[in-house]
Amino acid sequence: MNMIEVKNLKKSFGDLEVLKDISFDVKKGEVIAALGPSGSGKSTLLRSLIELEKIDGGSIIIEGNFLCKDGKYPPEKKIAAIRSKMGMVFQHFNLFPHMSVKDNLICAPLMQKTAPKNELIKKCQALLDKVGLIDKIDAAPSSLSGGQKQRVAIARALMLNPDILLFDEPTSALDPELTKEVLNVIKQLAEDKMTMIIVTHEIGFAYEAADKILFMTDGYILDYDTPEKVLKNNSNERINQFLNNVI
Amino acid sequence: MELKQWISQMSIGSLLTLKLFFATIFISLILGLATTFLYTSKNKYISKITGFYILIMRGTPLLLQIFFVFFGLPYLPFIGKYLVFDRFTAGAVAFILNYTAYYAEIFRGGLLSIDNGQYEAAKVLGMTALQTKFKIILPQMFRVSLPAISNEAIILVKDTALITTIGLTDLLQVTKTIVNRTTNISAFVVAALFYLVMSYILTIFFKFLEKRFAY
Ligand SMILES: Nc1ncnc2c1ncn2[C@@H]1O[C@H](COP(=O)(O)OP(=O)(O)OP(=O)(O)O)[C@@H](O)[C@H]1O
Ligand SMILES: [Mg+2]
Repeated sequence: MNMIEVKNLKKSFGDLEVLKDISFDVKKGEVIAALGPSGSGKSTLLRSLIELEKIDGGSIIIEGNFLCKDGKYPPEKKIAAIRSKMGMVFQHFNLFPHMSVKDNLICAPLMQKTAPKNELIKKCQALLDKVGLIDKIDAAPSSLSGGQKQRVAIARALMLNPDILLFDEPTSALDPELTKEVLNVIKQLAEDKMTMIIVTHEIGFAYEAADKILFMTDGYILDYDTPEKVLKNNSNERINQFLNNVI
Repeated sequence: MELKQWISQMSIGSLLTLKLFFATIFISLILGLATTFLYTSKNKYISKITGFYILIMRGTPLLLQIFFVFFGLPYLPFIGKYLVFDRFTAGAVAFILNYTAYYAEIFRGGLLSIDNGQYEAAKVLGMTALQTKFKIILPQMFRVSLPAISNEAIILVKDTALITTIGLTDLLQVTKTIVNRTTNISAFVVAALFYLVMSYILTIFFKFLEKRFAY
C-alpha cells in the first residue's frame, strides 16, 4: 500500500520555481533518505507533504486521501485530519521552551483528548524510556544538549501515533557524537517499520538505514532507487559530483 | 502645621497616586494585549487604524493628552456633552490610552521575538490556531516582555505626578503645599522616599516574576 503518493507536484516562491515536477511513491514501512545539494528543494518538498507549504500544482495523496488534488486543497478540517497522520521533526528541534519535557510530550494529545491524562503520562514515560531520556522527564528543554532535545522532539512526535514521520535534517545542528545518538533512535524506528522520509547530509546513515534514496537537484528528482544503486553504482555525473564533495 | 496633620494629608495624596497607578497598569496591560492583536491582525484596515492610534499616543506628550481628555473632549461637536469626566476619570482615561499604546508595542516586540518554528511545531502537532496562541505563544510573549513591562511600570509611578495639572491633589501636590506652609523641605524627602520605595517594590516583584517564569 502506498502511504504517500506525489504526482506532478509544483511549487514556486514568487518567480522562483523551487519544485518543478515531482512524482514519487512511498510504501508502508519504507525509509526514504532525501539527498541533494543545498537549495535543491528538499525542505520545501518535505514541508509541502505536511502542508507547512501550499503547493501550486499537482497532487499529494496520504494513505489514499487527497491532501491536495491538482493544486486544490480540501477544507481545513479535512487537511487537519490528513496532517494528523504525520509527524515532523525539525532541524532546530522547536521544543516549547516554557514547558517541561513531559509537558512538551503530553500537551498536544491532551488538547486533542486522545486519551486520559494518566494514560498519556504512562505513554510519555514509555517513549522517553525508548529514546533514553526517562531521567529528563521533568527537565526544562534549555537544560538539555542538542542531541537530547532532538530525541525529545522525536518522542513528542511519536506521542500522536503518526503513521508517517518526516525529518528535516534532524542532525545538522549537532556535533558528531550527538548525531550518533539521534541516528540510533531513527534506526530503531526503522526496525519498528515506521514509514519515514529523512532529509539528511549523512550519506553513511542513508546508505545503512534507508530503503531508498531520493536524490534531488534544482527542483527535480534526479534518482529514486536503492542506496546500492544510487550511492555505489551510479553513472550520473551530478550525483557522483555531489557524493565526492560530501565525502 | 502639625506633623500628624501633614502625614494624614500625604497619605490621602499617596492613595490617589496609588489608585491612578493601579487603574492604569491593570487596564492598560489588558487593553495593550488586545491592541497588539488588532495591530498584528491580518485585516489591513484594523491594523492601519491601530497603528495610527499608537503613533498618536506615542508621538504626542502625555500632558497634552491629559489636557485634551479633560478640557478638550467636552468641546467636541455632538458627542462632547457625553464626554464630560470628573478630574480623576479624565486623568485615568488619558493615562490608560497612553500606556495601552506603549504596552501594545512591548507585547508586539515579544510576539516578534518568537521563532516561526514554534508555530510550525504546534501546527504539525495538530494544535488549532487558538490553542497555539494561548498555550504556546502568549506564555512566551509574556516572559520575553517582562523586563520592558517592568520598566514601563516604573516610569508610570513617576508619571502619575502629571495629574496635578488638572487640579488633582496627589502626593506631589500635597507635598508642595506642605513645604510652602511649613517652610521645611522634609516633606519633599518623604515624597521622594515614597516614589523610590514603590519603584523598588515593583523592581523586586518583576524580578520575582522573571525568575518564576524563567526557561
Ligand atoms: N519561504 C521561502 N520564500 C522564498 N524562497 C524560499 C522559501 N523557502 C525556500 N526558498 C527557496 O527555495 C529554494 C529551495 O529551498 P529548500 O529549503 O527547499 O532547499 P533545501 O534542498 O532544503 O536546501 P538545504 O540543504 O540548504 O536545506 C531555495 O532557493 C530557497 O532559497
Ligand atoms: Mg533544507
